[in-house]
Amino acid sequence: MMISNFDAFQIANQSGSELDNIRIKNFNIFQKKGFPSKKEENWKYTDLKTILYNNLHELELPNHEIISKYNSEWLLKNFEHNQIILVNGDFVSSTFSFEDKEKIKIKPLKKILKDKKDFKKIKDYFTDQQNSLASLNHALVNDGIFLEIEDDYSFNKPLIIYNFFNKFAENKIINNKYFISLGKNSKLILLEYHKAEKNIKYFNNAIHHYSIRKNSILKKFSIDNNLDNSYNYHLTNIKSYTNSIFENFLFSSGSSFIKNEIHCDLLESFGSCFVNAMIFLNKQQHHELKTNVNHKQRDCKSSQLIKSVLLDKSSGTFQGKIYVQKDAQKTNGYQLSKALVLSENSAFNSKPELEIYADDVKCSHGSTIGNIDQNAIFYLMSRGLSKEQAKKMLIEGFLNEAIETITERNIQSLILKLFIDKINKTKFEIDEN
Amino acid sequence: MLDIKNLSASIDDKKILDKFNLKINPGEIHAIMGPNGSGKSTLANVLTGKNGYEVKGQILYQGKNLLNLPIEERARKGLFMAFQYPLEIAGVNTNNFLKTSLNTIRKVRGLKEIDSLDFLKLVKTKAESLKINEKILNRQLNVGFSGGEKKKNEILQMTILEPKLAILDETDSGLDIDAIKIVSEGVNSLRNKERSFLIITHYQRLLDYIKPDFVHVLINGKIAKTGCSELALELDKIGYEEMRASK
Repeated sequence: MMISNFDAFQIANQSGSELDNIRIKNFNIFQKKGFPSKKEENWKYTDLKTILYNNLHELELPNHEIISKYNSEWLLKNFEHNQIILVNGDFVSSTFSFEDKEKIKIKPLKKILKDKKDFKKIKDYFTDQQNSLASLNHALVNDGIFLEIEDDYSFNKPLIIYNFFNKFAENKIINNKYFISLGKNSKLILLEYHKAEKNIKYFNNAIHHYSIRKNSILKKFSIDNNLDNSYNYHLTNIKSYTNSIFENFLFSSGSSFIKNEIHCDLLESFGSCFVNAMIFLNKQQHHELKTNVNHKQRDCKSSQLIKSVLLDKSSGTFQGKIYVQKDAQKTNGYQLSKALVLSENSAFNSKPELEIYADDVKCSHGSTIGNIDQNAIFYLMSRGLSKEQAKKMLIEGFLNEAIETITERNIQSLILKLFIDKINKTKFEIDEN
Repeated sequence: MLDIKNLSASIDDKKILDKFNLKINPGEIHAIMGPNGSGKSTLANVLTGKNGYEVKGQILYQGKNLLNLPIEERARKGLFMAFQYPLEIAGVNTNNFLKTSLNTIRKVRGLKEIDSLDFLKLVKTKAESLKINEKILNRQLNVGFSGGEKKKNEILQMTILEPKLAILDETDSGLDIDAIKIVSEGVNSLRNKERSFLIITHYQRLLDYIKPDFVHVLINGKIAKTGCSELALELDKIGYEEMRASK
């Protein structure tokens, strides 16, 4: 697997700051390690090296002379929101019509990377080398989002980050980072909306950092239901401070490859972290969700509910970990993964993990994998529903439990609508045994 | 309405119904009583179309071969079974399910789809008459319902779907006296010249409230005896064993 034109990229992106050396160093690390493969514990269900090798022989770095255009039809309507638009990973525009602009600092990451002084603020985030994709991202990041929300500011309307990919992304590797931080007593409702043009193959390697200070609330929703044939690795790191709330909801209906990794550090007491997901896969789609909730201090709460439905030849994985450190007494941790595997050719792997070093904690986890209950299909059909209607109703019902965890009504309706559209377009061929 | 001729049904080579015959005319109420394992529920399941049985013989429903019809077609043509053990179906809202069901059936009957407002009005009236707390209908189907609520919910569905032939599979079991009365009133309110009922029960008690035209005693997959409603009283006294012996 080759990544071409690094030298040209490096020259074009020279900043004269420490970043130049960081790029070269990390690119070398990546060259040595290559893309993650099955040999690594974290990647044992998803051999990225093979997947990329078989599908994208050579990845190019984006050529930024191409203007990033997007189809305005793709923007969500009948839904008041602030927005940031990224096209092929480039920061194109931002509008905060509903907010007090004094309280918000927004910059394209490209500007931060090119400014010696600004870069110092984020320099520490370039040291993480937990896997070769992180190194690759440090070496090749060229844009993204830098957003700071001041203390005591609550957003009036949600912020939607549109992540669009068009035909210019074909065969490219796109590396970006977000840095989003909330000051004390702040609140942000964030919706990340991905959409790729049909049949475009690219690899998006994204690392997102969120910092939620004392008493602040971040509710983050990701809609990954339009990624089509793309390849994606989305790593999300959260730092949560005293009494803060982080709510994450993921709606994914797959793509050729997606791995979502969510690492949440509960750094101070009374923080909460919720990670819920609804995953609906068909055809040959592949999805992996890996969570790592790290309870570092006492009296924090975490909860995870992952519901997956797999059709055709799709495959899914959930690796979920709750880590409770010695000082994290009175931790309350919960995790549940339920999957409906509806075809003989689909597969789901589940690996729940608890690692607990404190002695006064409440932690539980569960995992089930099964098919639709035939008796339930019979019951619904005996009331006049066709088999197809009955199956759809049962699958919707199964996933509803996840949708019901969404605490924002308007976003809940939006996600429900997108999901119903999706399920209505899906052909169901379910093995009945 | 229903004409069952020489119906045999087996599951895993075990014969449950054995050349069973029964004819139900429009407007009639037939009760089938019998001991455990005599084939009562199998009869209900075969009529409804449940998979897993090997079936021989003939069932004519409104003059058509019922065994050739898929499950949902039977329901759409007016066949209804109140389940002995109504299923809990997580995530499916009771009202939504019932509305979908009603509209599928209305479509076949050439009626317009009922809109949400009219549907809720209809449900409200029917639920009140069955003394069902309306709130539970906004919950997941049968999830967290008490035993009585589940059974009443079956009868509610019946009164809303207005079937031509209703099969009640041990609807009385697990109900207290008050609930039996309410359920019976529900059944009696639907009673008319065109609609028929097949009531499966262990006990005579239910038949105090729903007066059948015929009572059949099912033993070993066959009707051992047929009589009028007094037969149920007689059975109550002598038990099934005696009936088996006197056969």
